[in-house]
Amino acid sequence: MLRTYARFASPPVGAATSERGDGVIGAKDRPSDLSGASDQDIVAWAKEGHEAAFRELVRRYERPVFSLIYRMVRNRALAEDLAQETFIKVLNGIRSYNPQFKFSSWIFKIANNAAIDHLRRRDLDTLSLDGSPYAATPEEAHATALQLGDRAETPLEEVEARELGGAIDRAIAKLRPEYRACILLRHVEGYAYEEIAQILDLPLGTVKTYIHRGRNELRRHLEDRRE
Amino acid sequence: MTARLELHLTPDEIEQWALGLLGAARALHLAQCPECLAAAERERKLYRELAQLGRFAPEPGFADRVMAQVRIPTPSGGFKP
Repeated sequence: MLRTYARFASPPVGAATSERGDGVIGAKDRPSDLSGASDQDIVAWAKEGHEAAFRELVRRYERPVFSLIYRMVRNRALAEDLAQETFIKVLNGIRSYNPQFKFSSWIFKIANNAAIDHLRRRDLDTLSLDGSPYAATPEEAHATALQLGDRAETPLEEVEARELGGAIDRAIAKLRPEYRACILLRHVEGYAYEEIAQILDLPLGTVKTYIHRGRNELRRHLEDRRE
Repeated sequence: MTARLELHLTPDEIEQWALGLLGAARALHLAQCPECLAAAERERKLYRELAQLGRFAPEPGFADRVMAQVRIPTPSGGFKP
């Protein structure tokens, strides 16, 4: 019998169930390859209790979710904790997911909230290599800058410097977190303005303004660096 | 039509141009307006830099660490032990 993703999204009555008699579709009735299925189908299977579907959602989104958070908080270990927290929240709340919205929008909303909440709590965005973006004077910027020469970098910090040390990533780090999130969702994840508004719970006009201002600031930071 | 042709490009239109989506009528203005062309070129340069941004992977074993804390639902409404 040919197994299709559509069938898996809505298993037929009387489909083979697990030996435990819990009504869960048995392993022999699940498709072996989930990679071509839509997010909506995968979520439907996850809601029915298929662990493979949960793992597929993690496989699909671990890199985009981790990358967004990592660029927001600029700390690998912290980004990993926040990404893990995001997935646990999403997967444990899978039954509350509303399929009217894109799954990707839902998970990015939770990921972004995790990052923004953390930045607000810890004000980590001031831990810039170049000093706080809110510094009013060069002296203030210097005082809030990380002094890399003060101590040896740990191996993890060396990885972070390599991964986030490029001019464009350093410029992104100087943006306000709200601008940063908009720019990353637009230019790294390729979301439309309307989707970004939905993910960030912001009016469309605000998103456009943030992206426009964010790009102006990026240009300025990049030009400053070149001069 | 003439009035529209004379209007400078909006940020949205400059973005459309950078993405290759600007309509022919507004492209005509761009071709005749050094101010808009300079702004559009600046925007395109930034887009190219942003396009170089890649994605990062979490440490190996990330999925297993997540799954260790996920409760798999059962059709009866509970969770698998």
